[in-house]
Amino acid sequence: MHPTLDPTAPSSIVRRDFLKQLAAAAAAAWATGEPRIAWAGDSKFTHPAAKADACILLWMGGGMAAPDTFDPKRYLPFEKGLEVSRMLSTFPAIPTAVDGLRICEGLENIASVMDRATLIRSAVQPDLGSILHSRHQYHWHTGYVPPQTVACPHIGSWLAKVLGPRNPVMPAFINVGQRLEGVGESEELKAFTTAGFFGSEFAPMNLPQPEEAAQSVRPPKGMDAGRFANRDRLFRSLADKNPNRDRMSDHQHQSLLRSMDNAYRLLNSPERDAFDIALEPKESYAKYDTGRFGRGCLLARRLVEAGARFVEVTTEYVPFLHWDTHNSGHETLARLHKEIDQPIATLVRDLETRGLLDRTLVIIASEFSRDALMEGKPGSNANDQTTFKVDRIEEMKHYGLHRHFTGGTSVVLFGGGVKKGHVHGQTADERPLVAIKDPVSISDLHATLMTAMGVSPKTEFTVEGRPFYVTEDGKGKAVDAVFA
Amino acid sequence: MRAPLAALLLLLPTCASLQAVDFNHQVVPLLRKHCGECHTGNKLKGGFSMNDRNTLLHGSENGPVIDPKNPAASLLLKVVTTDDKDTRMPPKGERLSAEEVAVLRQWIADGTPWEPGFAFKAPAYDPPLKPRTVPLPQPTPGRENPVDRLVDSYLAKNQIPTPATVDDGAFLRRAHLDLIGLLPTPEEFTAFTSDQRPDKRQRLITSLLARDVDYAEHWLTFWNDLLRNDYGGTGFITGGRKQISAWLYSALVQNIPYNQFATELLNPPTDQSRGFIDGIKWRGNVSAGQTVEIQFAQSLGQSFLGINLKCASCHDSFIDRWKLDESYGLAAVYAEKPLEIHRCDKPVGRTASAAWLFPELGRIDPAAPRPERLKQLAALMTHPDNGRFTRTIVNRLWHRLMGRGLVHPLDAMQSEPWNADLLDFLADDFQKHGYNLRHTLALIASSQAYAAPTEVVSDQSGPYTFRGPRARRLTAEQFVDALWHISHSGPAKVDAPILRGKADPATIDAARSRISAAWIWGDSAAAGKIPPSGEKILLRTTWKLDAPPSSGTAVLTCDNAFTLYINNKRVAESPQWEQLTSVPLHDKLQKGDNQIVVAVSNAGSSPNPAGLFLYAEASLTNGSRASLSSNSSWEFSPSTLKGNEARLGKLPDDWKPATEVPALAPWSAAISSQGPSLLAQAAAGAHLPPRAALMKADFFMRSLGRPNRDQIVSMRPAELTTLEAIDLSNGEVLFSALNKGAQQLTARPWKDSAELVHWIYAQTLARKPTTDELTAALDALGREKPAPAAVADLLWAILMQPEFQYVR
Repeated sequence: MHPTLDPTAPSSIVRRDFLKQLAAAAAAAWATGEPRIAWAGDSKFTHPAAKADACILLWMGGGMAAPDTFDPKRYLPFEKGLEVSRMLSTFPAIPTAVDGLRICEGLENIASVMDRATLIRSAVQPDLGSILHSRHQYHWHTGYVPPQTVACPHIGSWLAKVLGPRNPVMPAFINVGQRLEGVGESEELKAFTTAGFFGSEFAPMNLPQPEEAAQSVRPPKGMDAGRFANRDRLFRSLADKNPNRDRMSDHQHQSLLRSMDNAYRLLNSPERDAFDIALEPKESYAKYDTGRFGRGCLLARRLVEAGARFVEVTTEYVPFLHWDTHNSGHETLARLHKEIDQPIATLVRDLETRGLLDRTLVIIASEFSRDALMEGKPGSNANDQTTFKVDRIEEMKHYGLHRHFTGGTSVVLFGGGVKKGHVHGQTADERPLVAIKDPVSISDLHATLMTAMGVSPKTEFTVEGRPFYVTEDGKGKAVDAVFA
Repeated sequence: MRAPLAALLLLLPTCASLQAVDFNHQVVPLLRKHCGECHTGNKLKGGFSMNDRNTLLHGSENGPVIDPKNPAASLLLKVVTTDDKDTRMPPKGERLSAEEVAVLRQWIADGTPWEPGFAFKAPAYDPPLKPRTVPLPQPTPGRENPVDRLVDSYLAKNQIPTPATVDDGAFLRRAHLDLIGLLPTPEEFTAFTSDQRPDKRQRLITSLLARDVDYAEHWLTFWNDLLRNDYGGTGFITGGRKQISAWLYSALVQNIPYNQFATELLNPPTDQSRGFIDGIKWRGNVSAGQTVEIQFAQSLGQSFLGINLKCASCHDSFIDRWKLDESYGLAAVYAEKPLEIHRCDKPVGRTASAAWLFPELGRIDPAAPRPERLKQLAALMTHPDNGRFTRTIVNRLWHRLMGRGLVHPLDAMQSEPWNADLLDFLADDFQKHGYNLRHTLALIASSQAYAAPTEVVSDQSGPYTFRGPRARRLTAEQFVDALWHISHSGPAKVDAPILRGKADPATIDAARSRISAAWIWGDSAAAGKIPPSGEKILLRTTWKLDAPPSSGTAVLTCDNAFTLYINNKRVAESPQWEQLTSVPLHDKLQKGDNQIVVAVSNAGSSPNPAGLFLYAEASLTNGSRASLSSNSSWEFSPSTLKGNEARLGKLPDDWKPATEVPALAPWSAAISSQGPSLLAQAAAGAHLPPRAALMKADFFMRSLGRPNRDQIVSMRPAELTTLEAIDLSNGEVLFSALNKGAQQLTARPWKDSAELVHWIYAQTLARKPTTDELTAALDALGREKPAPAAVADLLWAILMQPEFQYVR
């Protein structure tokens, strides 16, 4: 570990006292655990009292099939000649810590913490004609269906903008596990992994590899702490000696120096240890170590402990991989169950043990569900994107839920003021497995998330002269029934 | 005063009636109390304003609110009395009392009399449309530039002292970065500061703007942002979007007049410039506000006219004068099918009729076929009386050079400029100088106003007054170009699918002697035979390269038509043999075997001569050159390809040697007249250093503010953020580039460390270090032979200075 440098070492760069006061005020807010409303707008809306201070979104990128995870239906095991139309789930149901609540086999650890969860089984998405992951992911992450005439901010950026960081040293929005270069549809992923019109101050800090997260808050590879400190000292010294010092009151110059200052502070703070999952005790590390996603959950826990506001951890969306099962769905999901089951349960228990669960909203979600037969939702004319069409399953690779289904999706919420051991909404027991009770749209789901975080669903900003709302047109309504 | 006579006549009935409603004391307070918040000033909820009598009578998006023939049936009365929650007005809060409704009813029955000249709030600025010739004030000696004459008069009127002038180094750096995007080299710094000629600044501007390639490769960033063109990104993967890169590059190198530039974008003469109006075709359903037709209206409104039609493409705008029907009218110019008007995604039951936004300049014939409508549109856009078109672009150029628009923000051209005379002068002057972009840039850059020190802005809350240029943040591309230049760390080849550079006569002559290949066909062209009409065959060869190419081009043509595939990808096609095609190869070839397949076809109604001619050459990254010519070593197959797909499918296996065909005279003429210049162009670009504007956006550039080009961007963020600062503090890209640069710098024979520090300051900041700075730098470097790590850290410490990251 690098020796911690004194970030408040005297320097005369610019309005240093002011910066110190700012940092002190932010630190005080952080100490009380209260969200800091950075912007409250005019009187058109009032922010509700926050139930949670932090949010972890566990993203099942690629379309998590509800009937094979949190909403088990009629299970039929694989056999040659199995009629597809009879089969709804490829995993049997198992009991959970909640009486009468069953989820799919393979999620035993999560089942054991479902008594801390609210399970929404009736999330629905619009049918966008061609059920494309990228457009649905954009919709889920920004609240708006692309294309839009302005660059929409990610919900993490909304929280960063409206609430600011919990701990002034920590980036408010951290995105774990998604590579944005070198994977298919990376341009489409970048389109919503952004603060959009809020500008990059509110953009995600992207940490695609949890194991390498520590590097992103350390001096560059090959530079020791002493050299890093000397380099910073040289920068400050040259800024002080600059013959154009009178320009330093310029707001652009000030903001540049302030940003450099913030960066240096994070890179030298004790909080940066949170990024280093190698510092986690071995036994605890092992519980998360099911793969990149599991280690991402560990990173998320450490970041939230250190004061992050919003962390997204993804199983990673790569076309035709992971949850994007266009064949071998059953076998792939058996593997994914293993990958997510223990880390998610451990995350929930760890947050609880640390007394953080009540004020941290953990969400498991995906862009849509899957079905063995139906593309889109009932009556859809969406292109069926499966590569094969069979009425009877002859091969194991055809056993699975391979179509994109938008009529009924499961979302799990833990902590953050939601009911414990509660189920909201219901899907049909026979195909089409649509939400038949209390459907929850993306707008309403976001309104619920924002309400829990103490942000009004009607929060608006003016962009190019038009109002732009955190939930589409300010119309999202929180699902009050999920709150304790 | 608005139509006083009419207003007087309207007031007559009120005078005649004993029961007359008192407009000022009864109506105004009532309207202000219940309606003012949403329908006066610049507020137009529901597209409705009652700010003055004209706007009141104009009505809302639901039609007129006053019915003069049947006053009692007026919509205004209905909405203030109805119990329907969806339509009642005001939508929330206290209803109008019975007495108030009675006042309104009487007022409408009286003919809605209005106090002459009264408006609830001052009328919004109404921007002029037509160009205006501005008389220039008398110049102050030494400040004859028309820009200065207008600025000086403004300064005098506002009692602002005339700003000073920056020193040579600052001016040199400013002009280089603003006009060609590159830092001046230490050699250019020395030459310029020691130049004693009084007109050296003017000479500098002229010489920078004459650097066609450097200019084009800098302004490409500006235009790519404004026309949302890029080399990769959303939409390209599904073929829903086309680049205009090659056309744009050439337009900038050639400096084609801006009216021609706009014409070629709006009414594309070839597919090369079609991408702008075609927009992004998304897969699946999109909202009515984002169809390609509506994108067309939004894009050309924003890019060329500084009009934001985004609001008005969903409903009548609340913030400016544009109406839903006007957006759809413009969209219908592009539409190939009847375009149904949608309000907030729901059809309103009307079909749009093609129309131009400013009918006072002329009309588009909605009955004309699309090509004709686009032609009419381009003519109206570039109409000599369309001052909005010229004002919009000169305002953008002013912003790039001066840090803030004359109208600001740039895409709200309906707002009042801080100096209308200056805006109108620049627009008029631009038009009178043949819509020459470089002329206007030169004019602004030659002014004393441009040479003034940048304004120190500490409080932005008050109204804007001009006190000098504002600092411009280096674009991501400028920063990266500077880094590559200092560190010699740029990529070996660029991403943009264009032929870089500009050929000169000597290189064209040299190319003439190189271009050589045979015309080839299949065995239907063997001696004594003539290929049948409509014959389709494949021709192929393999081109083996010892190293990856850094540049290269293929020049080809085929009588009658060809489709060229390189390494399985379709890269070019042409049905016109008279016109040679040149294809950039740097992004298509690889080290080792490259598969070249050309699907060719003959035309005509009876057997006629057919042949393919292809000559290609490439510069390789190992320094060697390679060439390829069509000849009898190629093979042909009588089979054809399935469909016309972007990728080459499975190839047949019936290959035989190709036949060389005697060249017809017109064939040879086409090659000798067009081939050398096409080839020379590629050769001219072979040794150009990489430029960031020609690269796809990477993380580093994104973190420095290069935008996703899904939307039009006319102003990038002006400030560095914390996340960006983290990237700059520990990012791999910057750190390794600086280390590489430091290795090279320390290997050079410096007299002492001080000389190196002087070189670094000249290169990065175009000035000498002060004594204090020199001491600090030397303390960090050591006086003897500095270690590369120390040099890298000094470079970093300077690159992070505000003085470096801003053009000032």
